[in-house]
Parts: sequence; structure tokens; C-alpha cells
Amino acid sequence: MSDTPHLVIIGNGVAGNRAAEILRERDKDCRISIISAGALLFYNRYELPHVFRGRQEWPDYLQHPPEYFADNKIALRRKSVVADVDTDRRKLILAHREEVGFDQLLVATGGAGYLPERLQETRGLMHSFSTFKAAMALNDDLPAKGHVVMLGGDMIGLDLARTLIDTGYRVSLVPGDRTFWPHEIKLEDQPQYLSALQTMGIEVVSHGEVERIEDTSNGKAARKVVFVSGEELEADVVIPFYGLVPMVDFMSTAGVDIERGLLVNPQLQTTRDEVFAAGDVCQIWAPESKEYRFYYGWRNVRKMGEVAACNMMGDDTTFSSDVDESLVITADGGIASPFWEYKA
Amino acid sequence: MTAELKAPVYLEEKLEQIQASGRLDYRSGSLPTWCPGCGYFSMTEGVTDALNELGLKNKDVVCVSGIGCASRFPFFVDVYGFHTLHGRTLPVATGIKTANEDLTVVVVGGDGDGFAIGGGHIPHAAKRNVDITYLLFDNGIYGLTKGQTSPTSSMGFKTSTTPYENREQPLNPLMMVLSYGASWVGQAYAGHPHRLSALIKEAMAHRGFSYLHILSPCVTFDKTDLTYENMNMAVQDMPEGHDSTSQIAALELAASRERPAIGVFFKEDRPTLNDNLDNVARSAGGEPQSKPAAVAAE
Amino acid sequence: MNGTDIQIAFCGSAGDGTIAVGDILKQAMALAGFKVIAFDQYPAEIRGFGKCVSRTRITVEQVYSMKQQTDILVSLDDSHAIPHTAEVRDFGAVIYDSAPISLLQEGEHISGHLNPGQIPYALPFREISERATSSNRSRNMVALGFVAGLYRMQREAFHEIIARKFKTKPKVVTTTNIDAFDEGYYAGAAEYRFDNVRVGEPPEKNGVEAEMLSGNAAVVRGCLEAGIDTYFGYPITPATTIMERLTVEMPKHGKKALQTEDEISAIGATIGAGYAGARAATATSGPGLALMAEMLGLGVMAEVPSVIFVSQRGGPSTGMPTKTEQSDLNLAVFGGSGDARRIVLAPTNVEGCWRCAGKAFEMAEKYQTPVIVLLDLYLSNRYETVVMSPDEKFVADMTLHPDSKQDAPYKRFAETEDGISPRALPGEAGGIHTITGLEHNDMGRPNDQPDIHTNMSDKRHKKLDAAVDHPGITITKRFGDEGDVDVGIMAWGSTFGESLEAMMMAREEGIRCAAMKVVMMSPLPIEPMTAFMDSCNEVLIPELNYEGQFATLVSGTLGRPVHRLNQVPGTPMRVEDILNQIRRLAGREARNAA
Repeated sequence: MSDTPHLVIIGNGVAGNRAAEILRERDKDCRISIISAGALLFYNRYELPHVFRGRQEWPDYLQHPPEYFADNKIALRRKSVVADVDTDRRKLILAHREEVGFDQLLVATGGAGYLPERLQETRGLMHSFSTFKAAMALNDDLPAKGHVVMLGGDMIGLDLARTLIDTGYRVSLVPGDRTFWPHEIKLEDQPQYLSALQTMGIEVVSHGEVERIEDTSNGKAARKVVFVSGEELEADVVIPFYGLVPMVDFMSTAGVDIERGLLVNPQLQTTRDEVFAAGDVCQIWAPESKEYRFYYGWRNVRKMGEVAACNMMGDDTTFSSDVDESLVITADGGIASPFWEYKA
Repeated sequence: MTAELKAPVYLEEKLEQIQASGRLDYRSGSLPTWCPGCGYFSMTEGVTDALNELGLKNKDVVCVSGIGCASRFPFFVDVYGFHTLHGRTLPVATGIKTANEDLTVVVVGGDGDGFAIGGGHIPHAAKRNVDITYLLFDNGIYGLTKGQTSPTSSMGFKTSTTPYENREQPLNPLMMVLSYGASWVGQAYAGHPHRLSALIKEAMAHRGFSYLHILSPCVTFDKTDLTYENMNMAVQDMPEGHDSTSQIAALELAASRERPAIGVFFKEDRPTLNDNLDNVARSAGGEPQSKPAAVAAE
Repeated sequence: MNGTDIQIAFCGSAGDGTIAVGDILKQAMALAGFKVIAFDQYPAEIRGFGKCVSRTRITVEQVYSMKQQTDILVSLDDSHAIPHTAEVRDFGAVIYDSAPISLLQEGEHISGHLNPGQIPYALPFREISERATSSNRSRNMVALGFVAGLYRMQREAFHEIIARKFKTKPKVVTTTNIDAFDEGYYAGAAEYRFDNVRVGEPPEKNGVEAEMLSGNAAVVRGCLEAGIDTYFGYPITPATTIMERLTVEMPKHGKKALQTEDEISAIGATIGAGYAGARAATATSGPGLALMAEMLGLGVMAEVPSVIFVSQRGGPSTGMPTKTEQSDLNLAVFGGSGDARRIVLAPTNVEGCWRCAGKAFEMAEKYQTPVIVLLDLYLSNRYETVVMSPDEKFVADMTLHPDSKQDAPYKRFAETEDGISPRALPGEAGGIHTITGLEHNDMGRPNDQPDIHTNMSDKRHKKLDAAVDHPGITITKRFGDEGDVDVGIMAWGSTFGESLEAMMMAREEGIRCAAMKVVMMSPLPIEPMTAFMDSCNEVLIPELNYEGQFATLVSGTLGRPVHRLNQVPGTPMRVEDILNQIRRLAGREARNAA
């Protein structure tokens, strides 16, 4: 048992699962475990807007059937949160107090939704959209032809907005400096893209910064957005889309370098040889700009999973992105983004 | 042997006396199959005598026998009878008495039936103080199967299964039964039939588990050891001042085997099994049932 | 299957309260109006941390066995529950504690052992128990509440059962347990469900109250209703609870129950009491029955009524005291020296345990012989919702008394047409007689002559033939397709339940199939069995013993070949295994090989 190397992947997303696939292709015998905080098997988060198109059975979203994991001997630990990583002893400690040993570790935990500090207090009154459960809750709480107010408007949110408009809901956007994240669009360049959004049917709200959210429901899921300026906007639901921050707290004592994300070299290796990282959680060294930078989007994230897996097998591959990161305005006046692409 | 007859006895008078006494009502028509001179004849006399003197109705008496020369006993007395399995008289008798408290149950068995195969049941009958009378016929041999060593055979006794002489010390049944806490323990001798009758009557009259150890020869298969001659000399009366309320005194007396004492070794009164079960019923709020509903009324 | 059909398993260590919550669950669901079958597994040892598993199947329609796969597994102790994760179906739920008290090595937490198709639910049972009740002892109640909340079960029914369970204890015990249950319930109700386990509404009760009874409890009920007079018994797993209940209940009716020093004494006293006219019974298991064999012969020879309940367990010898088996049939039917035919009944479900118990007393009295009622550990300890009919009564008195005008002397074993002689009881005038284990004439006197022994053997055997027609009990019954069928299953005891389900599944696959239950094992109801076998192309006899004891009895007595399915796993036979045999015999491919 201890002779077979144990390769552990933290994170049940695109990067982690692609890595597991490659690892098993390359080595039929090693032990592979994926550690996931959620209850579900690997599903495609990018497809969640389909919940509003009537696809409401979670097995529908699975990227692999359950048999896939058994057939490929990939051990999947769900509802397991990593509390601490001891790289000296090569042990993870899970929140439910179980120690798991590893020989090599791939951190692919992705990012969590960022929320500005002033909105932290009222986070309970806002809906999220990062999991199937959250998507179903949103669907349940939104009345027919209801009004959604999106704060921030990153590309995940704008993707959802497309579907909502298409399925008869009303969408308003409160823009800010994170609108169009991860595209880096400076505020002064925003107007043309904001018009494009309006062409798509999204109402752009120009009341400035949000002060707070209020619950006006008296039983119904109704909300009110109150702006610093004093203006108010009624909504059925309010959803923040301020982009992602990498989930790295549990790595704080692991002895690897962290800036905002885990710092890795172009081979996706951290400052400890046995620890790799892939996906939204890591910043990769870009020699040409002499900085560590993030790469987002399904194509990039998937490729990172491949590269990390190959290198865990002893290869010396380098990650390079072939994704054109520009946000474009299409011929019919709307926007299109490489970050909306999620099929091979 | 004490002279019991002071005047001449005329046969016709004696027969009239016997017929008038009523104890023949307790004899069945069957002729016993025991060897002439066997102690069981005295015992049968004793039992019928006791039943007669106690005035018990035939229909209210059950005689339970084991396997051995005792087997046929119930057939020779005119009462209900159950000839059971070797060593199992006491459980069956317990069942009968528990089912119908109004019956008088008399158990008859030999030393092998009681103390070899049946040994495990005796302590529990005594412990429970089942209100039955156990007449244990001890001739130190297995007579029915033609003479094998029994748990009470003497050391040195030669039989077909101990051709090189019995090397084992015999059990002491009286000490055993006393230590089991039997509430009435006595010893009798078939060679003294009148005394035997009296003790049987006393045993049956006792309310609780009565154990009467009856010494007898096996006239056919033991012609050397436990014979009338030897036993006549060995048995003795109960010592003067024997305290029959002391279990320890009884045990001491029972320990001496060379001169077996005839009489009541120990007796005490304590609740019987049926007393206890009836009290259990009362404490559970029930009305004790003394006999099964199936038994027809008088 | 229309409507709810789910099976829930609680698995924990002795001391975790696993059995207790399983008990509350099944009672609550029965109270709510569902049909329930439940079976618990206990550890063999008394102390230590042995495994307990409490399984409950909850349905709307009547079912006859436990399911092979469980829908919901709740772990109260991961070390014991981990091996049971394999029995949870895909899209079923596994519920466990998310915050164990000590640090675990890799693989010691159940979350690492789930199949990808199973759905995990994690809740800090211990912490919630501490918060709600200031102690972690109620974590089993938290877990139970979580299940109830998750599946929107009838909360009031649970509260009612908890109150009943602790009604003899101080009030605080009830409130503590309810508080812990409710905490779990709220958490469960708030939980998002990913499994596809459906729990619907229970059926309308229409004023009919079902009771949850175990096989042994049903036996006790039958004994009391038949007017049992005496019980003598010796403790032995799994029959001990019969004695325990009777020693409590019988005194309330003024009757006598006593623990004896061994099984020989128990049966001896039972037969003695039977001779004295009592309705007498004892209960034991295989090893005890072996000890009783000599006495059974005495009961047969002396024509004395007695009732012996035998709950079979793994054999031979001391065998497997806490595992189920059906390997004492030979002993029950044939045990004892000589040609000692007696009546043997074998119920197939809990209601049957009640009925066979009561009828055993009727038959013992009527046919003046020992009657053995064969259960098995699974049936003894299995709980089912049973609707007891208040109108059915056991006939109080079947003793044939002698005619008071008959001429003396009384003949206990007088020759009669049906072989049953009038029986005088001790204490009755004009009926004095002695009975014996020796062969005897009609007076009961020992007699070993050829014609006497032949005639008496005839009497003792023939008098029992009429038992197959004894009223008020169904001793064979056919289910499934009428007329000619491809495959017929003949089964007995608890295995009939699994056989019935396999037969129904086979019919759904288009196989012409029927099943017959046989409840009287001696004398064998030859006519209906022959008729059944005549209509079957192939006959399958599944039973939980190695030697195929019933198959041998059937094929030997009826002179027909049979197919055997013999298993000795110590647990109930799997429906799938029976179904695969049916498929094979019907010429189909076996599927889902074990």
C-alpha cells in the first residue's frame, strides 16, 4: 500500500478532473484521490444557467457518469474540506479530522466569489450562483418574469444574464471596476461595452456605488438595493458577480509561496517540488512580463490540468495559453468572450 | 432385630385386618414382577399404607417412576401413573405438581436413576422445594440390567462392568440431598417394613420436597455386600437427642456410612414451589390458578 | 411497486443506541400507517464494541422480505458502518457525523469509502447533541431526527413513540430525546437533497391499527390467547425472549412460568404438565431440541400433549448463535429414537408465528402429541406490522374426555376410528391409568407383542393424518400464476418471503411462475404439494441449510425430483439469488451474477 504513490488532487473542477484523467492514462497503478468540498460529482459549472431552461436534474450536468470513477479507480472524497497541509510529513488534515497522506499534491481549488467589504454584512440577503444548489435556490426564489439585479457583472454573471433575458426575466446591472472580469477593461473604456450590454437587453444602472441591500420581503424574496447616492432600486433577487479570489487559506502553513494565488513556475510547480497547482487558484510566472499572472477560462484551466498532470509524471512541459483574451463586440452589437467557451 | 410380635398371629385374622384397613384399595390388580424378597414389596406396602392412612383419594395421586426395577411401580398401585425416562422423574413430577396443585405426587426411583443420570435434577427439585415425595430405592446396584455397579456401590464390589473390583468411592446421597437444602430428609430400611411405612407416611405428609432414602438389598445380584444379613447388623436407630432442625447435625450424622441411621435426619417448613409461583401471580395482579381448566370438576 | 418503498439502515457500535433509534423509527412509521418490516443484527458478545445494524423497510404495499440494497445508511460509528456502504444503492444516501471527536487515520472516516453514485450527508451529530442536551449521548436521536427531517417524515408520530418509549422514566428523559430529535429534524428539513429516495404519504388507516410485532412476540401473544397454563424453559439464543415475556405475562393471568436447570428438565416438566391436563409449552433452539429428543419420543409414545417452539440458528452444534439458518428440520421431524412421528409447523411470517402458536396448542390437545413450531432467528427477531383480527379465537378446549358412562376399566389407549382415544386427566374419577414410554396395550400396560406394537404404531401415525385438515390454519398456499407454470418454488419458514418476491419479479420478466408455502412439515400435506408439483415444469426448493433438508423430505416423500438452492450465509437468502435460479430453470440467462 505505501509502495504505490498516492497522488492527491484538491478540487473537483475542470483542472482537477482533467489532471486525474491524464494521471490515470499515464499510470495505471498509482492511487489517485480527488478531494471535494461539495456533495456532487464533477459537473460543468459553466452550464448552470441551463437550470433556467428546464434542466433541473443534477445528474444531467455530470461530465462523467459515476461508473467512470470506479472504472478508473479514482477515489473521490466528497464533503471533505482540507483544513491544513503539512508538507514536511506529506499529510493533509481534513476538516472532519482525518489525516490523508500524499506523495504528490495538486491544488486545484479554484476561486470563490469576491465580495467587497461594505457588502459583507448583507451577504445573507444576496444569492450566489457558484454551485448547482445555489442555481436551484435562485431558480426557486425568482418569480416568473422576475427582476434580477447583478452587482459588478463579471463574465460569469453576464453569461447568466444572457440566459435570463432569453427566458423572460428582467436583468439590471450595477457596473463597477470588476465589470467584465477577468477581462481587464479600464473604467474609461467601459462605455462601449456597456452599450453592447444594453443592446443585449441588460439594463445598465447608473446610480453609482451600492451602499447596502435591504430585505423588503415580509415573507417574499424581495430586495431593495440602496445606493450611496440615496437612490433605491427594487429587485426580486440581488446577485454579486465581482470576480473570483483564489481559495488558498488552507495552504497558509504549507511552506509554499502565495501572493494572491499559489505562485508556480511555468511547469506549474510551487516552491515545493511535490506540490503543483492548476486553474483559477494559481499565478504562473510569465518571464516576458516578469510577473506572476492568472489565466482564466475553461480552455486555459483545462490545459493547466493537463500540464500539471504530465509534470507530476516526470515530464518537463511548460504551460502556455492559446486563448485570445480580448472581449469583443459582435456584429449584432452584443459582446462575446473567450471565457464563455466551455466545450472542447 | 427387635421383636415386634408379642402374641401369635393367625393368618385368617390378619387377612381380615388387611382387607378392613382399606389399603388394598390402593393396589392395582397386577402382580408385581420383582424378585421374591426384594425391598420393593415393603415399599409398596408402605406406600399403600401411607395413602390409606392419609385418606388420599386414588384419583388425586400420581406416581412417577424412572427406569429400573422401580419402573413398574406405578402399575402395581391403583393411582394415576407415569413411567418416564431414566433419570428424569423429578422434572416430570415437577411439571405434574405445578400444573395441578391438588395432586399428591410420589416419585419412585433407584440409586442409578437418581444419582447417575438423574443427579443434575435433584438439587433443583430440592432448591425449589417442589411439594413431592421422592422415594429413593438404594440397593447399590443396577438390578434391571442384571447387575452393574452404581454410584452408591461399595468399593471393592465386583460386577460385570467392574470385573477387577470397583475402585471408586461411592457417593453419599444423604449428604448430597441435605446440602441441596431439601426440606425433609429421612432414611429407612426395607428390612424394617413397619418403620418404613411410618416414614413414608411422614414424608408424604410433609409439605415440601421430601426425600426418603430407602436401603434395600438386591437379592438376586448382590449376594455378598448389601444383604439383609449385613444390613440388619449395620442399621441403627436415630441417635438420642438428634436435632432434626439442624442441617449441620444431619450432615454429620449422614457422613457415617458404616452404621446408617434410620429416621428423620432433617426437616423444616418453608414455602413450596407452588406457594412461590402463586405469590408471583398475586404480585403481578393475577388470581393463581390451582389446576388446569381442562380437568373436569368433581 | 406503487408508492413508498425504502429501506433505512442504522449502523453503530453497541452502546451507540443504534437499536433504540431503529426501534423508534419502525414504531413511528407503523403508527403513521406505513407497512414496516425490520430486522436488527446484534453483536454476539455482550461487552465490547460489537457491531449493531438496525434495518427497517417502509412500504405502502405489503412486502415479504428485506431488500438487498439499502436506500439510506446512517453511520453512528464509521468503523462498523464502512463495510456496509456497499449495500447502499446508487443515488441513495449515506449520512454520517462530520465532526468526530478524535483524529482519524486515513480511511477511518466513512466519507472516504463512498461509491461515486452514493450521496453523502454530513452533520455534526455529537456537537448538535451537546448543544441541545448538554451531552453527546443523544447523537443517535439527532441522527434519527435528521433522517426524519430530510425526508419530511411524520414528526408527531416520532414524538408520540419517543414519549411512549420513555413513559416509565422521569419526564426529562423524554424531553431531552425529543429536543435532540428536533434539532436533527430542523437540520434535515433545511438540507438540500441530492438523493432520489422518495418518501410519500402513508396510506389511509381507516381505523385499522397495525401493531409492530416480532416473531417471538407474536408467539407469546398466541400462547396467551390459547390459554397457556405452564411454561418451563431454559435460556438459549434466539428463543430466550419468549421465556422473558411469558415470565412477565403469565403470572398476570394466574399461570405459572419457571426457568429450569436445563432443556431436559424443561421438556420433562412440560410433558409432566401436559399429562396433568395443562396447556404446556417450552421454547428452545437447535442445540436444546437435540437434548429434548428423548423426551419427545416419550411424549409421542405416551400420547401426551406438549408444545415446543424452536427458533433455528446456525448449526451444527453450538454453531452460530446470532445467525439465522433453517437446518433443524430433520431434527424437528425425525429427532428421537424409533418411529416417533409428531406434528411440526413452520410459519413464514410474523402473523403466522401468532397463528401457529395458538394452533399448536389446539393440535397438541386434539391429537395428544408433541407439536413443534419451527421459527428461525430471522423470523424470531424480525418485526412486521401486523393487523390482528379480534374475531379470531383459538378454541379453548380440545381435550377428548372419556364418556362417564363407559364401563370399567378405563382404557387410555382404546382403539377408535380416528386413532384418538378419550383422555382421562389426573384428578378425574374413573380414569385411573398409567402411561409409559414402553410399548403398551390399550390399557397402557407394557406389552411388546408383535400385533400390539404394530397396531399401536398404526394408531400413533394414523391419528396425525387428520392434522392436515385442522381448521383455522392454512398449511399450504399457492401464489402466482394458476395452471401450468415453467418454474414452481416450494419454500418454508422465513425463506418463503424472499421466494415470493423472487417469484413476482420473475413473472414481471415474463416467466410463468408460481410459489407455494408449506407450513406443516409433519405430517406433510401430500395432496396439495403433489398437485402443485404436477403443474410445474421445474420445482425449486430454496432453503437456508447446506443439506437441503426440506428438498430431501419432499423428493423422498413424494418421489419427485427437485432443484435445490442451499445457502448457509447466516443471513436471509437474497431475492436475487432465488430469481437467478428461476431464470436459469426457465432457460433464461442469469443476470447480475453475485
